Amino acid sequence: MNEFLEQFLVEARELVEQATADLLALEREPDDRASLDGSFRAFHTLKGGAGIVDFAAMAHAMHAAEDVLSTVRKGDRPVTPDMIGECLTCLDQVVQWLDAIEDSGELPGEADAEADLLAARFAARAAASEGAKANSPVLGTAPSSATALAVLQEQIALLAVRGEGLEGRIASAGRLAANIFRHLGRFDDAERIAGSVSESLAGLDTTSIARSIESALERLADKLSPSQIAPVAVRPDPLSRTLRINAERVEALVSLTGELTVANNAIGHIAMLAQEGDNPLAAGIADEHRKLDRLIAGLQRAVLELRVLPMRGVFQRFSRLVREMSESLTKPVRLTIEGEDTHADKAIIEMLSDPLLHVVRNAMDHGVETCAERASAGKPAIATIHLRARREGEHVVVEVEDDGRGIDPNRIRKTVVERNLAAADAVAGMSDEALVDLIFMPGLSTATDVTDLSGRGVGMDAVRASVERLGGRVQLETRLGSGSTVRFLLPFSVMMTEVMTVEAGGQLFGIPLDAVVETVRIPREEIRSVGHAHAFVLRNRTIPLLGLGQTLGWAKVESDSDATVVVASTGGLLGGLEVDKLGSRMDVMLKPLEGILSGIPEIAGTTVLGDGGVLLVLDVKELLR
Amino acid sequence: MALTILVVDDSKLARMAVAKVLGGLCPDWTRVEAANADEALAAMHEKTPDLAVLDFNMPGRDGLDVAAQIRGLRPSMPMAVISANHQKEIVDRAHALGAVFLSKPLTEPALRDFLAGAVRQIEAGAA
Repeated sequence: MNEFLEQFLVEARELVEQATADLLALEREPDDRASLDGSFRAFHTLKGGAGIVDFAAMAHAMHAAEDVLSTVRKGDRPVTPDMIGECLTCLDQVVQWLDAIEDSGELPGEADAEADLLAARFAARAAASEGAKANSPVLGTAPSSATALAVLQEQIALLAVRGEGLEGRIASAGRLAANIFRHLGRFDDAERIAGSVSESLAGLDTTSIARSIESALERLADKLSPSQIAPVAVRPDPLSRTLRINAERVEALVSLTGELTVANNAIGHIAMLAQEGDNPLAAGIADEHRKLDRLIAGLQRAVLELRVLPMRGVFQRFSRLVREMSESLTKPVRLTIEGEDTHADKAIIEMLSDPLLHVVRNAMDHGVETCAERASAGKPAIATIHLRARREGEHVVVEVEDDGRGIDPNRIRKTVVERNLAAADAVAGMSDEALVDLIFMPGLSTATDVTDLSGRGVGMDAVRASVERLGGRVQLETRLGSGSTVRFLLPFSVMMTEVMTVEAGGQLFGIPLDAVVETVRIPREEIRSVGHAHAFVLRNRTIPLLGLGQTLGWAKVESDSDATVVVASTGGLLGGLEVDKLGSRMDVMLKPLEGILSGIPEIAGTTVLGDGGVLLVLDVKELLR
Repeated sequence: MALTILVVDDSKLARMAVAKVLGGLCPDWTRVEAANADEALAAMHEKTPDLAVLDFNMPGRDGLDVAAQIRGLRPSMPMAVISANHQKEIVDRAHALGAVFLSKPLTEPALRDFLAGAVRQIEAGAA
């Protein structure tokens, strides 16, 4: 990104903030000259900035807002909540553009349609307030659609007028109408209108263009009545931006902090050796190490906080997506978004998009009923999907809640048996909860039809896998007849893994602590053979037992003493790992496997130990599979 | 002739844009930047610029107010008032103060003409 664009982002965000505050103040006190001047100036400077960075579409939209505020300043028009609303909508659009620039480093490619629509809305407002009452359609549509309709009808009226400037009117009406339809996702209609522009221009006859706008309008009206959807986004709090740092510099800081952690582990090791060797300095070293440890933990937290991004980047595409899906499925759905300012590690934000998309698609496709079904169930015609994010301690919770039909355990039971995914008697005894959890099984889908939208059964298993890869968990709550909630519990940062060390086959391993349920000693005689496998009973529960050393390829060592077992649970699997010795607990920065080790599924990653050795951290899920 | 030019605009982005064009036209000039009227007037005393480019639209005292105050200090200093809105009232007020009106975004030819005229005026005054 060049320095101009960077400065533009910084200034434009400040100006959006200032304009928002001024507009809200103006709404409270319409006579407040300072707020009026302030908001006018902010739009004006936004326009100037857009001009400097060659963002013509934004300059165009800002100019329209500025015009409106300018007439208010002259006393030609009163301050109304509608007018304030339009200006705020305009600022929302600016924020979306700024986010897009921040993400891509470039100006948004397709901003013209949005800018035209904003300008058209201001124009329609101006026309309406001058007494030329806009012919507002009685469709009960979302305001933006309603305004779009009013503007389009105005264009048709404009085209009907005979007289001079016909060529210009045809071209501008055609461009505006095509952009509006493009904005509404109706690309075919946009193309048709664009085509008829040249036809009308060639014959200097408005019939062709007027007719194609009219017929596109009719199709739009047909479409809009069943699916009147307006994404309800909670307006983001004004962001306080003070400093912009290049992502690479943050990465450098993260990696230095990682090395510092490794060095600190080494000091911890030396402190321990000193104590074992009765060194008189041992106590002092251990003390200082504890302090260092605490400080480095604090530093690491602070550094990782630098690498966070708001959810907005992930969430904002869903308004559009849900709108499109809603149309193609003819299911009216309203999307609400909450907590888009919740932050999470960049790595989480970047990987969240796909699993979230799967879940939202499932909700639209399988969760939300058809209009007829909703009507007969006595539910509101418009379904609601909530997309939420919030911070809970060290976790970030992201959830998708729908008010659809919920998941019927009996249908899952039937499908599982039909598809031979499990034996009938095994399924018969399962609790509803366990049955619903089968939705995460590969190859299962309860949708009666396979749709283009979410396909067959690919999805929830992939969703669970990718969320768990990020160190998160997926929860599913469902209420038959009233909807489902899919919840992702994600770590706030992805760097630290808490592990417990164990020894097996003479080698040290790390087991992620979040997979460890407990450690137990099991008398040898209580270990039963089940075919080639072994198992033991813990509090009336039979748990399969794996010798960790053997599983990883070391020879079996016969022993009569009690077995030291780590009971681990992950991804719904429970098992015991027999180890030779239990070690200590430590926080490590997990590095993915590289080179010759990268093909070993049982190893999740490595970390460097205090003594310089490499600790292999186990992937418990792979081991228990 | 290496001159000192005062650039007054509350937007840093706008000052950067002026600086870029200036850098191409007069690389050996000294540039003094100010983000508001107070900074501009302080710079007038401290840096004694030879000419000034002022943005009209600023919070507090606007570019024309600053131009009027500069005029009081330095009756013959070349000045340009720039604004994105080409309003007759602003143009007239700028002209009444003996300043040139330039449209925003500032283009290289427009700035070049203003600078050339300013240099001629300063040289004539010095001779």
